Amino acid sequence: MNKKLLTILVCPVTKGPLIYDKKNHRLISCSSRLAYFIKDGIPLLQEEEAIELSSEEVEKYR
Amino acid sequence: MSLQIEKKLDFNKRRLGFERSASGYDAAAVLQNEVGTRLLDRLALMTLQPKRVLDLGSGTGFMTKHLLKTYPKSEHHAVDIAFNMAKQTQRYQTWRRKVYTTCATAEALPYASESFDMVISNLMLQWCDDLSGVFTDIHRILRAEGGFIFTSFGTDTMIELRESWKQVDDYEHTHRFVDIHDVGDALMQTGFQQPVLDMEKITLTYTSLPKMFRDIKAIGATNASLGRNKGLTGKGAFKKLELAYEAFRTEDGLYPLTYEVIYGHGWGQSKVGLYEGRAIIPITPVG
Repeated sequence: MNKKLLTILVCPVTKGPLIYDKKNHRLISCSSRLAYFIKDGIPLLQEEEAIELSSEEVEKYR
Repeated sequence: MSLQIEKKLDFNKRRLGFERSASGYDAAAVLQNEVGTRLLDRLALMTLQPKRVLDLGSGTGFMTKHLLKTYPKSEHHAVDIAFNMAKQTQRYQTWRRKVYTTCATAEALPYASESFDMVISNLMLQWCDDLSGVFTDIHRILRAEGGFIFTSFGTDTMIELRESWKQVDDYEHTHRFVDIHDVGDALMQTGFQQPVLDMEKITLTYTSLPKMFRDIKAIGATNASLGRNKGLTGKGAFKKLELAYEAFRTEDGLYPLTYEVIYGHGWGQSKVGLYEGRAIIPITPVG
């Protein structure tokens, strides 16, 4: 995940910050409890494409 | 299919005599590239030096490809709703010139506030249902002195087809395009400074209606083409449509289809003077 891109990306739903989950190669929005995938270096930042995270999962990223 | 510009920007009726054969290309690419080139010509007159540029609705990457040349020192970003389009845009990056590509919608942009000095959008806004919502989000990601420069289709787009269908039935067969004045109002209401809008008409001509419908499908205005309602668009309805279209046929017997292209730009502003994200500025007539 490119650092320059990550500095200006936010969650499309809440406009809150995104955390890069290196292990699973996805972007986490704690504020919307969503995980967004990255395909071929392109972040897929659409609510419909994301998966919902449980409260416990979100806590791990805080 | 051939393409000609009927009206020029200042609404005058002067015919430019511009004509270009575009056979071998689909209308989507021809229009996108033609209008995109005109948009780039306008940019060249603006002498801007944006630090960070966003190509909103980048499609096949035509704008990004040229923006990389126009602004060699800028940081380039592109966003498209479709992954395949984002992927096509991404291929214009080189090891030296990165294009940061993202997949998202214009209604929910995934960028931090005041991230961009320039947001460019070529022929994408006409497919957005909530223009004010989209403008609000663009204004949010734009820096105070940043520019939003765009093209879209106006209300007279496909007027010949709409008028012809009216003779056949009462159903809506064409996409409802937004009036240029409503685009201007939406710009003002969402806080853009000194909005400027103008339009020109581009007419494509076809040797037959089925050829026209194939192009319309390629452009994405699928409800303008035959087949929306099978019961209504059988052979009988098609014959009626063809008959109604006779009134528009050119001297050469071709079927014209007009696109009203809207060119617009507006500037961001200092967020001081904004009330709940909306600008408090006097409303003056636009267009």
